[in-house]
Amino acid sequence: MAVSPIGAMMSAATAAPVTGTQQIGAAGIPTDTGQAGAASGSDFGNVVTNALQGMQDSQDSANSLAVQAATGDLTDVHNYTIAATEASLRTEMTVAVRDRAVAAFNQIMAMQV
Amino acid sequence: MSIFPVFDTAASALRTNRIWMDAISDNLANVNTVKPYNQPAFQARFVAAQELPTNPSDPIGVGGGVTVASIKYGDATGIERYEPGNPLANAKGYIRSPDVDVAQNMTDLIIAQRAYQLNLAVVDRASQSYQQAIQINGK
Repeated sequence: MAVSPIGAMMSAATAAPVTGTQQIGAAGIPTDTGQAGAASGSDFGNVVTNALQGMQDSQDSANSLAVQAATGDLTDVHNYTIAATEASLRTEMTVAVRDRAVAAFNQIMAMQV
Repeated sequence: MSIFPVFDTAASALRTNRIWMDAISDNLANVNTVKPYNQPAFQARFVAAQELPTNPSDPIGVGGGVTVASIKYGDATGIERYEPGNPLANAKGYIRSPDVDVAQNMTDLIIAQRAYQLNLAVVDRASQSYQQAIQINGK
């Protein structure tokens, strides 16, 4: 995305986090992201909360399948490994989102004024 | 729809192929199960697979994988065999042995195993792809 240097700072400060949340919404996590101008901060909070909830759910299902595997109730071996893979990917994704958000915040904070 | 839809699709195929292997294992387990002449022989198990419908929330229209529609049963007549020494034989010395083709079942077992491995490879590739997508421009 080519941004003209002059308006870049303002548009980056408002637009960039919103495109980020919209992309996450498109990836499947339900968000109630409003229009682009309404980036109040609660949107990103919702996204993070939903992502954490999704991560927790996938880890819970992987854990219950692990218990089933241990007790011999697991009917399909692949169900556990797939659930574990999914939980690990979701965790990786949540961590990646957090890292990007923190990096963006740090860049804004390090900005010369 | 899951956030990683490939896993659901591949898991449905893994389950279907696992059931197919279960059915083949049942057929091979009962290959020597003889019955008295007046009873139905062991019927070979066949898995009827069916595609899953398109997920309505999926805008592209990719299907949802595969499932087992039903288990079909083979011929109950079996093979009438003359075995007068068998305690189950009737007055004329006949018993029923199952109509299970061992060579066919072994071939099917190889196909089912390869299909299972194929879908495990799909899970592996999908996992790698998702991971690489997460790591775009990462440190």
